[in-house]
Amino acid sequence: MKRFVLLSAMVVLLVATTPGLALAGDTATTAGTSTIEDVSLAVDTVWVIVAALLVLFMQAGFAMLEVGFSRMKNVGSVVAKILANMGIGLIAYWVAGFAFAFGDGGSLNPLIGLQGFFTDPGADANATFAGLSWTAVPLSAKFLFQVAFALVSLAIVWGTMLERTKFAVYLIFAAVFAGFIYPTVSHWIWGGGWLTDLGMQDFAGSTVVHLQGAMAALAGTLLLGPRIGKYDEAGRPQTIPGHNMPLAVLGVLILWIGWWGFNPGSTLSAVGAPFADIALTTNLAAGAGVLGAMAMSYVYRRNVDVGMAGNGAIAALVAITAACAFVDPWASIVIGFVAGIVMYVTLLSVDRIGVDDPLGAIAAHGMGGIWGTLSCGLFATPALAESVGAGQGGLFYTGSFYQLGIQALGIVTAGAFTFITSYAVFAVLKATIGLRVKPEEELNGLDISEHGVFGYAEQLVATDPNGSARTLPDPLERTIGGTG
Amino acid sequence: MEQRPIAQGTGTGNNVLSVYSDRVELSSGFPGQNTTSVGLKQIANVSIQGWVNCTLTIEINDGRRLNLERMALPDARQIKAVIERQKRMAGLHE
Repeated sequence: MKRFVLLSAMVVLLVATTPGLALAGDTATTAGTSTIEDVSLAVDTVWVIVAALLVLFMQAGFAMLEVGFSRMKNVGSVVAKILANMGIGLIAYWVAGFAFAFGDGGSLNPLIGLQGFFTDPGADANATFAGLSWTAVPLSAKFLFQVAFALVSLAIVWGTMLERTKFAVYLIFAAVFAGFIYPTVSHWIWGGGWLTDLGMQDFAGSTVVHLQGAMAALAGTLLLGPRIGKYDEAGRPQTIPGHNMPLAVLGVLILWIGWWGFNPGSTLSAVGAPFADIALTTNLAAGAGVLGAMAMSYVYRRNVDVGMAGNGAIAALVAITAACAFVDPWASIVIGFVAGIVMYVTLLSVDRIGVDDPLGAIAAHGMGGIWGTLSCGLFATPALAESVGAGQGGLFYTGSFYQLGIQALGIVTAGAFTFITSYAVFAVLKATIGLRVKPEEELNGLDISEHGVFGYAEQLVATDPNGSARTLPDPLERTIGGTG
Repeated sequence: MEQRPIAQGTGTGNNVLSVYSDRVELSSGFPGQNTTSVGLKQIANVSIQGWVNCTLTIEINDGRRLNLERMALPDARQIKAVIERQKRMAGLHE
């Protein structure tokens, strides 16, 4: 026993003293060689990596949000799709996307980057990736941060196409979107392209990330068609409720936390950067968005819809994404509140014109992105625009429509490019392999038809209100030769 | 034992077309509230129009036409091929 106590005491002593000795040694060495610039760069790099992690964590938010808004029979396909998209998106962006987005394009630089394929951290980063040469953090950190954004944009696409899309469609479109479509618009606005030159303001990607995702989603959904049972005989939309609202709200909260990396992290540096101010505007807007959507829900339906409140937060976060570094805190509240209202109205309109968007991604990310990008042209303060180094003050400060016009031009061109290219890709897929699963598979649920297992235990998988979690009724038991 | 369709496709408006060994069923409404069943013998012609949003048309001997709009081309082709194959196998072609 004595021996055991003695041994334990020695181990504790060793554990307690070793790090101190090691750190003491390091401090002595570091103090002798490090400069203020080295420490500053290290802090910036840590900040960018942490921000990239937060943005990557948003995939968990999308997973929970989509799972919550799906029926039980489809939840396994949702998470499988998220994982597959992360895998494909990461590699496609590494192979080509990062080069198209931030590489030097020579004479074609206003349109697209053409250097730096198969991203190599050892390359001369500033020359090859001229679009990101304004920040000194290592190329790997830049890549990881940007690829996390591409993955977010890709995740938005699939929110509208839930519960009826073939798994192969996810895989193929993910490669094209992350490898070419998304990076092209990134280059226009962030990578030194023609919209950068015009002074478009989109600090963290209301247009680049969210509007692009929503436009691709709209293109896909138009070709895909609504879920079976979404519209009745007269074309009136029917509610297909998700199966787990707490999971959906957990998804919203994870996304909200992820936005702490999304917007403040877009400074791509920590030392001297206003990331705390950006975090403040971001969170104020999100809070106002919840209130805006809840208010609309109460006015329209006389109850407070939890799903709508969550979408209100997301729409506001999307909207403030462009403006977060350009506006004062009071303006962020206005932007967020209006975003919640715009999202609600759009969601109802989209439903009525026959576009089945289970998650409300077109309303939250599409209209939220448009409103947020335009809001820069209204609320951007001249001082903040100058300190960021993009564009000029908005209409309410300068009386000039110039910035608002640039913002509108960016929305139209980026939206049109993404919609047209995405529509073309989805059209080719529809004409070759088809976009949606067979009706029988859709009614049985994608978990069993596409992945061979249920997301939940089979006994727990509930039929939806229309009783569709089963195969079509046995035709032999029905009247042959007529309606009935 | 439940008979499973040989081929299936979805069109707009909850329309689902299922091809069985002896007939074609068009279910509309949800879930399959209205069903039109046509024996393969009654089918005169099957045609496809379009590439991306296809329209599958089944012409019936009594003059009716069943249209399934905004279909995917592979689904429409498969349905057409299955109907023609089944008719051939049953010796139903004129």
